[in-house]
Amino acid sequence: MMPINTLHILNKAPDHSRTAQCKHALRPGDALLLTENAVLALSVAGGHDDPAIPVYALEPDAVARGLGQSGTETTLVDFSAMVDLTAQAQNVISW
Amino acid sequence: MSTLIVIDQSPYGTWAGREALDMAFSLAAFDQSVSLLFTGAGVNWLRKAQTASEIEQKSVEKNISAAPIFGVKAIYADAKACVQYGLGLDNMLAGVAMAENSTELLHEHTHTAFAG
Amino acid sequence: MAATSSLQNYTLVITGAPYSSQAPQTALLFARAAIAAGHTLDRVFLYGDGVHLASSLSAPPSDETHWANEWARFLKGNSVPGVACIASALRRGLVNESEKKRYELPASNLLEPFIIAGLGEWVEGTMASSRVIYFHAGG
Repeated sequence: MMPINTLHILNKAPDHSRTAQCKHALRPGDALLLTENAVLALSVAGGHDDPAIPVYALEPDAVARGLGQSGTETTLVDFSAMVDLTAQAQNVISW
Repeated sequence: MSTLIVIDQSPYGTWAGREALDMAFSLAAFDQSVSLLFTGAGVNWLRKAQTASEIEQKSVEKNISAAPIFGVKAIYADAKACVQYGLGLDNMLAGVAMAENSTELLHEHTHTAFAG
Repeated sequence: MAATSSLQNYTLVITGAPYSSQAPQTALLFARAAIAAGHTLDRVFLYGDGVHLASSLSAPPSDETHWANEWARFLKGNSVPGVACIASALRRGLVNESEKKRYELPASNLLEPFIIAGLGEWVEGTMASSRVIYFHAGG
């Protein structure tokens, strides 16, 4: 796995104002983890803004919302992988 | 370790901003480096002449103005949000630094936190 | 290929209330996974609406998870300190015996093993831990 500068953890639905703020703060070398309502982004057409930034989504939250199929650009992860991501990243921002 | 406390919610409607200020002041009391960033609707914390007595709350103007005395390093306001909410030098509290690219600030601090 | 990352010492901050948000649930599943992976939890700090997680008076339906009890069990079982911020707690009606007496309130409701303490506990957590993760209410 590539080293991660900042892991951004977002739990807000796509239309929440903090979602836009988070997207705006992503930089090369960062990663984005979608949790809770943020996994709704999996169902929003239009794909992913920056292909250079890896996007992960918590599978339990996706499955709960009937969105168990990941998009081609989003990797579904479990809580164990979420912990790994926070351990690997130099910084973690919870939006 | 330097911390950026971000306030993006409007004053008085929720307590998130007050609780964020408490976080900043606590860090400063422990001699930790901390700055405040107001962005989104949160820039309205910085408007002059807030009279909160009629909704029976305390105005936060004095708290924010006293922040440097309590050891908070800097107070930033997102420039775009200020424009959106009609805030400029004439109607903002003194001592606020405009941030044209406020998300850069997140990457300049080792620790970024919201109160809620 | 499994990535190896070094072991971390976490402070978890919960600012969302149970039943009003997923914060306590996401935090608990994260906490269990962190312990299982060999990391340590320095403390769990409840702030803002998160203090409601420390109430002993919650009585959810029997087919719903009892988040306060689940957290209490986890903290006791793993010897992790759980702290509710005193300013947030007093405002929202979470009190221990001594605060009940101090404010002459009719009851106390702090669930063991949570304690009530100041924001300094959070500051100490940020200084002592290698990672601080916040669990806010979503939206």
